[in-house]
Amino acid sequence: MATREELSEFLAAAERRAYKQALFAVRDQDNALDIVQDAMCKLAENYGDRPPHELPLLFTRIVQNTIHDFFRRQKVRTTWITLFSALSSADEDETDPLESMEARPGSSSAESAADHVERSQVVNIIEQEISRLPARQREAFLLRYWEDLDVAETAATMKCSEGSVKTHCSRATQALAKALRARGIDL
Amino acid sequence: MNNEAEFAYRVRQALDESADRLDYRVSLRLEKARRLAVERSVAKQAAPVWVPALQLASEGAPSTEDSRTRMSAWLLRFGLAAPLLALALGIVGIKQWQNDRMVAETADLDFAVLLDDTPIDTYAHQGFGVFLREENGM
Repeated sequence: MATREELSEFLAAAERRAYKQALFAVRDQDNALDIVQDAMCKLAENYGDRPPHELPLLFTRIVQNTIHDFFRRQKVRTTWITLFSALSSADEDETDPLESMEARPGSSSAESAADHVERSQVVNIIEQEISRLPARQREAFLLRYWEDLDVAETAATMKCSEGSVKTHCSRATQALAKALRARGIDL
Repeated sequence: MNNEAEFAYRVRQALDESADRLDYRVSLRLEKARRLAVERSVAKQAAPVWVPALQLASEGAPSTEDSRTRMSAWLLRFGLAAPLLALALGIVGIKQWQNDRMVAETADLDFAVLLDDTPIDTYAHQGFGVFLREENGM
């Protein structure tokens, strides 16, 4: 059974990666932080009595499930908003959704990258390209190569076959390498 | 495969680097979340666990953890079900007793009326009540 100190140490070591993964998925700092907090609380409340060596895989799964739950809730919310928007009068909503979508590449991360040293620029570009990968490919790539899960563990976490994990990882690697090369980065 | 692993390793280095230089605001928020989670874990572990009284009798007996857990779960279920069962039986019993009493009273009344010499129509007559009251008053 993990002690209070062991749990705290584990969370301190894992929280940044979890946050980054959530951020890649939801692309919003506050939502990503909420997801990590939810996942931490779920782990502590439901699995706090597990041995320390079981915590990493459990936490990874909880983070992924919490991200999926977030998207499910967002889908329901979007459905209702779309429904109410359709019912409301047409002249109320004249904003172009493409405007908000175009705002992302020019956001603070891209601007701040220009002020950083070369290494920081490279890191930022890598992050941007990772966030542009298809969701399942990104999930497989990060679980496999950042969280260090093996193929079977990744498949169990993603609830898919091991073959799918290999395919997702391979495609993610190729797509990422191609995108980085196009931006002048050859790893 | 080697190329893929090497490429992934370099990406991983970049991601680790990025994760190490998070905003102060984000780091602070993560620290708060961590503290909250640890507090909840401690609170849950410290929460009192209800143990059925009957379980104490089997405390000394040699038994496995599983059987003890099953036993306590069974006792818990029984402990909840027994009062409900007793209440239901009590309600049915009271209703039955009231029924029996009402039947007995009606039977006594019918029996008395049938055995009495007074014709049954007399009871419906208005003057008969006055007659009985006057007779009792005397």
